[in-house]
Amino acid sequence: MLRFDPVSTRDEGGHEALSQLSFEVAAGEMAFVTGHSGAGKSTLLKLIALIERPSHGQIVVDGQALAKVGRGGIPKLRRRLGMVFQDHRLLMDRTVFANVELPLLIGGVAPAERGRRVRAALEKVGLLSYERQLPDSLSTGEQQRVGIARAIVARPAVLIADEPTGNLDPQLAVEIMGLFAEFQELGTTVLVASHDLPLIKRMHKRVVVLDHGRLVADIAAEEVL
Amino acid sequence: MSAPAVTEKAVPRSERSQARRFAGWREHHGWSAAASLRRLGARPLGTLMTVAVLGLALALPLAFYLLLANVQSMGNALGRNPAISVFLKADQAGAQARLLAGELGQRAEVAAVTVKTPQQGLDELAALQGFSGAVHALDDANPLPWVLVVQPRAGLDAAAVDALAASLRGEQAVDLVQDSSQWRQRLDALLGVGHRVVLVLAGLLALAALLVVGNTIRTDIASRSEEIGVLLLVGASRAFVRRPYLYAGVWYGLFGGALASLLALAIELALAGPAAELDRAYGGSLMLGALPWWLLLGAPLAAAALGWIGARLVSAWQLYQAD
Ligand SMILES: Nc1ncnc2c1ncn2[C@@H]1O[C@H](COP(=O)(O)OP(=O)(O)OP(=O)(O)O)[C@@H](O)[C@H]1O
Ligand SMILES: [Mg+2]
Repeated sequence: MLRFDPVSTRDEGGHEALSQLSFEVAAGEMAFVTGHSGAGKSTLLKLIALIERPSHGQIVVDGQALAKVGRGGIPKLRRRLGMVFQDHRLLMDRTVFANVELPLLIGGVAPAERGRRVRAALEKVGLLSYERQLPDSLSTGEQQRVGIARAIVARPAVLIADEPTGNLDPQLAVEIMGLFAEFQELGTTVLVASHDLPLIKRMHKRVVVLDHGRLVADIAAEEVL
Repeated sequence: MSAPAVTEKAVPRSERSQARRFAGWREHHGWSAAASLRRLGARPLGTLMTVAVLGLALALPLAFYLLLANVQSMGNALGRNPAISVFLKADQAGAQARLLAGELGQRAEVAAVTVKTPQQGLDELAALQGFSGAVHALDDANPLPWVLVVQPRAGLDAAAVDALAASLRGEQAVDLVQDSSQWRQRLDALLGVGHRVVLVLAGLLALAALLVVGNTIRTDIASRSEEIGVLLLVGASRAFVRRPYLYAGVWYGLFGGALASLLALAIELALAGPAAELDRAYGGSLMLGALPWWLLLGAPLAAAALGWIGARLVSAWQLYQAD
């Protein structure tokens, strides 16, 4: 579950990347955030992951009010989130397995259990046979799938992704979005930022449209044609 | 399948997760120790240079300590017998020497007086290496005077010994009084200064070691800022991110300290030959000092602690900046 209760962010220059933004994504729901470049999509996701703090308003993530999370609480909050980035952010000197294992290692999961869960996640993204390879030897699409496996391996309640298909060809992009839809079906709350409108339309999910930091449209899944 | 399920239920959940958290923590310590060691091994030249700088810097106070220990034990050996040698004037004969010895023996501050004949003095001189030939040429006309060896009463302080020596100098028959406690005092003062110098030197070089490790870890962290960013994003705590770097600091210190101990041992071995010869010349009474085992083992441990502190300070600062 995600809730923005009129949230604004203002930088030192007084520029508002987001202004008076209110919306809620129910637990187990999947939504896209779209809008032109500079609309505030990335900013919105950064607020959820506590990479940035809002200047006004309240944000609730999986029942946790972010204003109450201090510096020391940030790691714990992030462990309840899965994050996927456009540039996948894999550690290039560690194997695919070690990359996906990272959140479990941080969470202190026992080794045997880690092995099981990493393999289940890799199987889900179709990369089980790549576990011993270094990310360098994988294609861009495969690297992105490793990034997704890392995001879901700890079974987060909320999954957020910033332009997860930005570097992929259309066919791969559809596959990746399909993966997100699958995780939603397993009960995960999913929020994906993307400016790829044709792709978004194909997915038949809720769409939140931003423009200059304001919410200008909130289209329910049934209304997406 | 059913057996583990039963045991899992038997333990309260909070206790179990706490035990798991501790196991995870221990596991990550092991991982960090191994990973940091592998990273040091991955760039051997840089690692060797850092370790060499640490080893040389830390060997210096050890070597100085070794030198002081030897001077001190030499001083101890030579000054153990604080006897005062009283050289009588050349015109004094044996009878007069024995008379004076008896008189001096009556004094409260004197424990014993021995009379050394000129011949005994000559024999002692001959016993010293290299003197025998020259001494035998003097057999006919012994130029040495009678000597009274005055042993002050045990427990007499330095001032009282000084006063005794002064009063002996005032005796009519006495030519020269040699008071060993005087040079002993000067040596002790000098050694005191030396120890202070070793402490200051050790402090300064420990600081230098801390800075060397800190700077190495700083560049290490800077070159891995991307990885650190990812770790923080996927929920790693600062302690988790820091851990491998703290171990790297410990390894640098440990290896540097071990190198310092080996260098100090090498210096000791190099000095062992000449020292043994010196000892033989003094009839094996010198008991020349060696580096104690606790110092040789303690140096790497102390250096490891220094490395940890250096890494801790630098990583705290850099992770704070990363935010
Ligand atoms: N680091 C920053 N410092 C100051 N302003 C920023 C920063 N990052 C983004 N902004 C501003 O915040 C606003 C929203 O940016 P944001 O990155 O959220 O847009 P976006 O919708 O993700 O765009 P894109 O589709 O290009 O990724 C923009 O006006 C941008 O100029
Ligand atoms: Mg963006």
